Amino acid sequence: MQYQGQPAPIRQQPVQMTYMCADCGADNDIKPKEPIRCRECGYRILYKKRTKKMVQFEAR
Amino acid sequence: MQVDRLTNSGVLQHQRFQNGSEDDAAVLLGAGPCCRHFLRVKGLVKQHIDSFNYFIDVDLKKIVKANEVVTSDVDPSFYLKYTGIRVGMPERTDADAAKPCRLRDMTYAAPIAVDIEYTRGRSRVIRKGVVIGRMPIMLRSARCEKVILVQEQMSKNRIIIQVDNKGFMAANRKSKTYVVYKKGALYLKHNSISDDVPLVVAMRAMGMTADKEIAQLVAGNDPLFLDMLSPTLEEGSASKLFTQRAALDWIGSKTKVTRRPGMARRPGYEEALEVLANVVLAHVPCVYAVNNDNMTDDLDYLGNKRLELAGQLLSLLFEDLFKRFNYDLKLNVDKVLKKPNLAQAFDVYNQLMCHGDLITQGLTRAISTGNWSLKRFKMERAGVTHILSRLSYISALGMMTRISSQFEKTRKVSGPRALQPSQWGMLCPADTPEGELCGLVKNLALMTHITTDDEEEPIRRDAALMTGAELHTPGTHVVFLNALRFVRHGRIPAFVSIYIDDHRNTVNISADNGRICRPLIIVENGKSRVKDHHIQDLMAGKLEFDDFLRLGLVEYLDVNEENDCNIAIYEKDLKLYTTHCEIEPFTLLGAVAGLIPYPHHNQSPRNTYQSAMGKQAIGAIAYNQLNRIDTLLYLMVYPQQPMVKTKTIELINYDKLPAGQNGSVFVMSYSGYDIEDALVINKSSLDRGFGRCQVMRKYTAMVRKYANGTFDRVRYAHIDTDGMAPPGTRLETGPDVDGGNDINAGVGGATVEYRPTPATFKYPDHGYVDKVMITTSETDQTLIKFLLRQTRRPELGDKFSSRHGQKGVCGIIVQQEDMPFTDRGVFPDIIMNPHGFPSRMTVGKLMEFVASKAGAIKGELQYGTCFGGSKMEDMCRILMENGYSYTGKDYVTSGITGEPVGAYIFNGATYYQRLKHMVADKMHARARGPRAVLTRQPTEGRSRDGGLRLGEMEKDCLIGYGASMLLLERLMISSDVFEVHVCEKCGYIGYKGWCQVCRSSKTMTPIKIPYACKLLFQELQSMNILPRLVMEDI
Amino acid sequence: MSLADRNRVVILEDRVENIHGAEFPMGFDEKELPFNLASFKDSFDVKIVRVTPTDIEFDLIGVPTVAIEKVYMINNTGIVQDEVLAHRLGLIPINADPTAFQWKRPTDLPTDQNTVVFKLEIACSKNNEAADDEADPKKKYVNSAVYSRDLVWDPKGDQAERFADKPIKPIHDDILITKLRPGQSISCEMHCEKGVGKDHAKFSPVATASYRLLPEIQILEDITGDDAELFKSCFAPGVVEVVEEGGVRKAKVVNPRKDTVSREVLRHKEFEGKVRLTRVRDHFIFNVESTGIIAPEELVAQAIDVLVEKCDIVQNALANIGKNSEDDEE
Repeated sequence: MQYQGQPAPIRQQPVQMTYMCADCGADNDIKPKEPIRCRECGYRILYKKRTKKMVQFEAR
Repeated sequence: MQVDRLTNSGVLQHQRFQNGSEDDAAVLLGAGPCCRHFLRVKGLVKQHIDSFNYFIDVDLKKIVKANEVVTSDVDPSFYLKYTGIRVGMPERTDADAAKPCRLRDMTYAAPIAVDIEYTRGRSRVIRKGVVIGRMPIMLRSARCEKVILVQEQMSKNRIIIQVDNKGFMAANRKSKTYVVYKKGALYLKHNSISDDVPLVVAMRAMGMTADKEIAQLVAGNDPLFLDMLSPTLEEGSASKLFTQRAALDWIGSKTKVTRRPGMARRPGYEEALEVLANVVLAHVPCVYAVNNDNMTDDLDYLGNKRLELAGQLLSLLFEDLFKRFNYDLKLNVDKVLKKPNLAQAFDVYNQLMCHGDLITQGLTRAISTGNWSLKRFKMERAGVTHILSRLSYISALGMMTRISSQFEKTRKVSGPRALQPSQWGMLCPADTPEGELCGLVKNLALMTHITTDDEEEPIRRDAALMTGAELHTPGTHVVFLNALRFVRHGRIPAFVSIYIDDHRNTVNISADNGRICRPLIIVENGKSRVKDHHIQDLMAGKLEFDDFLRLGLVEYLDVNEENDCNIAIYEKDLKLYTTHCEIEPFTLLGAVAGLIPYPHHNQSPRNTYQSAMGKQAIGAIAYNQLNRIDTLLYLMVYPQQPMVKTKTIELINYDKLPAGQNGSVFVMSYSGYDIEDALVINKSSLDRGFGRCQVMRKYTAMVRKYANGTFDRVRYAHIDTDGMAPPGTRLETGPDVDGGNDINAGVGGATVEYRPTPATFKYPDHGYVDKVMITTSETDQTLIKFLLRQTRRPELGDKFSSRHGQKGVCGIIVQQEDMPFTDRGVFPDIIMNPHGFPSRMTVGKLMEFVASKAGAIKGELQYGTCFGGSKMEDMCRILMENGYSYTGKDYVTSGITGEPVGAYIFNGATYYQRLKHMVADKMHARARGPRAVLTRQPTEGRSRDGGLRLGEMEKDCLIGYGASMLLLERLMISSDVFEVHVCEKCGYIGYKGWCQVCRSSKTMTPIKIPYACKLLFQELQSMNILPRLVMEDI
Repeated sequence: MSLADRNRVVILEDRVENIHGAEFPMGFDEKELPFNLASFKDSFDVKIVRVTPTDIEFDLIGVPTVAIEKVYMINNTGIVQDEVLAHRLGLIPINADPTAFQWKRPTDLPTDQNTVVFKLEIACSKNNEAADDEADPKKKYVNSAVYSRDLVWDPKGDQAERFADKPIKPIHDDILITKLRPGQSISCEMHCEKGVGKDHAKFSPVATASYRLLPEIQILEDITGDDAELFKSCFAPGVVEVVEEGGVRKAKVVNPRKDTVSREVLRHKEFEGKVRLTRVRDHFIFNVESTGIIAPEELVAQAIDVLVEKCDIVQNALANIGKNSEDDEE
């Protein structure tokens, strides 16, 4: 089925990921082992962003 | 309505929390005759907050004042004095609100700062604002800027009843004084005095040396008492102790002295004086009790009980910690000062800073474990704090109004469990658990308030003015100043109580804390002091409830005061002798029982059942529910407010955070799948979203760094580049499926391999990742929290309940075509079996049916408030006027045959709650699976994929039936069968084909025994008991 | 029981009597009264009393419709969770002629013959033109609410031509799907399939479909004077009128059809023995309320077709029973 999500490409090298600040909503690029802190407001809680994959739901 | 709710709860994501209106606005109810009225929603949990505020503002300062100086035994010139204490606002450099604390698993705390004055060398130093620790802050208290209720992680919802007993054998907690009537004479007995003391001697020791004085004081002029007293007086003369000093010396010699180290020994008479003054005197009322049964106190009487709240418990804890802190400080100071030739002048400030953790940790530990172990105050209590249940709004609310009793639950006494008449209006008569804690755990009624200490000095002054009359003159009373104060109109604090004890001829004035009280309208000359214009002003916001107190329209009465009052329930009942009027009778129920419509028509246990079940209902739990990450959270997708509301529902905002849906319910038997309270549910209703709920579950992972330089890491694997499943990912059961949240933590470093420890999704149905939160904890470790979400539609076996203690499981789900329908095409969402009614006698439910049906027809909400609510006549008239049968029963066509149903079917809308017990969480079966390591038997419990136990009684059945082979199979073959080789000669277990004991291979026989049996043999062997297996041919 | 009675359901105060039909052998007074097709045909009559765009006052199972069945979520940062959003989308009635589509089995690939595709791409933002103190979210933000009109049909294959005169779209434009706030957006693709209400309520072409029997009110003894007024008030307006006959006000049944059978009249002692409530067993009043996908009159016809089809299946099956058993015997 064409809409089924493809398995994500396996990347060997850890790359920076973008997380969203729980307070101001700003995007933060964080590399592994970096302190977890929003660059904009200093808030220490970040949320992971929603998957980019398409997800199928039954409308039931 | 739906639209509005969406706005409120969801999209705007209001941060404000559940309880009450957040400002102290008075909520007006256009209610009853007397009290068109007002109930100040001060928040149902005001008592906790008041208590906590009192502790922070008053108690803390008193404690410090009482322990203000620290001196040194080494250097007499050294001193440190606390001149003030403050608790700041909870502030953090990075986070200042409760929400981040909650999300990051931290303690919401504020610094405790003290002002000190001390000597450094020769000079005197003053420092202000020295932080000595951090105080966990109760949410919503005065120090909390945020509007969240009670301390989150571990809330003190515990209120402990203590008996303030002045009973026959009366005493304070720690000691007991008896007045014994022995051989016709009175003796004083106390556990700190080894012998019985003749009463006269005791009196003499207290300074009353003349017999006549004693006789008058004790017995007045009552000849009966005088006669009774004569043997006592003779005994007194016989003792030959005629002076106060002699009597004291004698008692002193009998006194058991608890001596603290370092204290100088005191002469016996001083000890005696202290004992008498501090201990015995407090127990004087017992003297009266000897001859008069009325004098004994009822231990279960609410007026004799005091409730302990968070503030008091915290204050004891803090006092203990503060003393310990000072003691440690002193030891350290001594240690430093002992050293000769200090390089520089000793500055105690540095020492002070070293001890910062003691108070903080002490407070945190006690609150998180609930163990209050304070040797200093002879207190050893576990379970003082509980984790606040957030499963539903009602359960959180119910928990915060809960009162638990210290009474032992094992004792088979009914008294403490019984409903006490003095509980009227103070404690909810319905809300108590079933089972062993029945009647011991109680809940506050809606308007109950618990007092905090009031200043006693001013009252004492006033009280002094009014008394002084002679003892025992008829009509005069002894004034007991308990720690108290005085009369209304603002001259006395609002919560001081004054009452007359006719049995003892005393006037008691109490200002102590922990008394239960409630507001009542003051009535004068048969007229309520609250007039219409007051109510109008209240509604217009010109007056507040506090103004009513100030104006003397309303006052707080405690249990004892109620005895001296004539309280009318309704304004129409006011008589000339009436002193007070109830504000609203329904407030005698608590917040949880207040949800029940027409509870006054139900059999009383049903209200109790509902009070327990309302807490399990799935619904909206808080406005911030979608921002929370709780271990387990149940949410209803489309919650509705009930068609039949109560005033309580509006007051506690259950209509804004509801837990249930209004379903169309037919009361009829259908299909046989509805026996034993099972429900028949319409499939189309489920398709449209009826009863749909969500389950949110938390997974936590810590990414740690270890002391040896190794660290955990999150593997960058197939899930996502950072190794964490992103929100929106679909999760299936089983390990390592696409999306199993593979958080791979392991130990790393040059020598150690990473050990994969993925967190996998293991629930029967699929789910989705709702949120992934990354943060750092207090100790600077990375903390990852996953929130997983499942959406569930009701299925066979899921549990539902109406608001009348009528629970039932879903027995069958039926296509709508097969459902019965009325002439107007109304189909049921739920069919309920009529057998649920006769034995349960839940007439209130029948009334809810009619009222909500009428409400639905007319398009308005109806009320089922206790002792009030929409009248049945009106409801039935609405039905009739709209072409429905007056009885609520309608002509129905069967969906199966298409023919009419021979009976008229009672139907209407009823509020149904979906309870948290769901089949998806409980279903379990196993064929093969994991086994316990030690016994090799199948593991136990669903969470470990355990086996289904064939228990003792089932075993007996099989034995009785004679199914021995089945028994053998179930108990051994399907469980822990094990083949051993036994030596026929010596009977010991050996190797396969070799007996180590006989050193022979000829005699080995394989047999099958349970592994547990083999284990038993080996354990016996280890104790030098050698079991032998004796083989025999059959 | 009189002969006329056997065709009446009797409404008593506390129960309904004579509820079963008697058109089966030995069904009535031990006399044969079997169903007679000829007489049924003779007396069979359908009257359509009222038709509005969505209502027809006249069992329908199995009439298929097209509804959203699968939702492919590309992005959803709104507050309504994916499953809930999908469920809400599924319940929106889609104006697509079900006869123009084929059934899609789970294994079938989506084609332009069995699938209709909708797209929803919407994001909420601040409305720069709104006043600073604007409180109404509808004015303060753009796209603060998502309505069914925001679903965009994405014609596949020759769908654009096939449905040129009747573009596929939700029946109602103003069904609220969810609400959004600035920064939130939804992006998804929906596949509609053909299905029947038995499978899921969203495929049901009707909101309500039910029938009742024609009520009948027999006045056994004249009801006059004030009693007549009381009698009138016991029924829905228009059922009973009070007429003057020879200077006496008398209650007269005008239109029993409007009666709601509330049995109010049976509660009054005055009318005891004077009135008899019955319903005509073979006079059905159907009420069908369409969701708007299929016009009610068409819906009824289709439903009857489905019923006929089912009867055929049963007939064939019955006919085959004999053959099969013969086969078995062989």
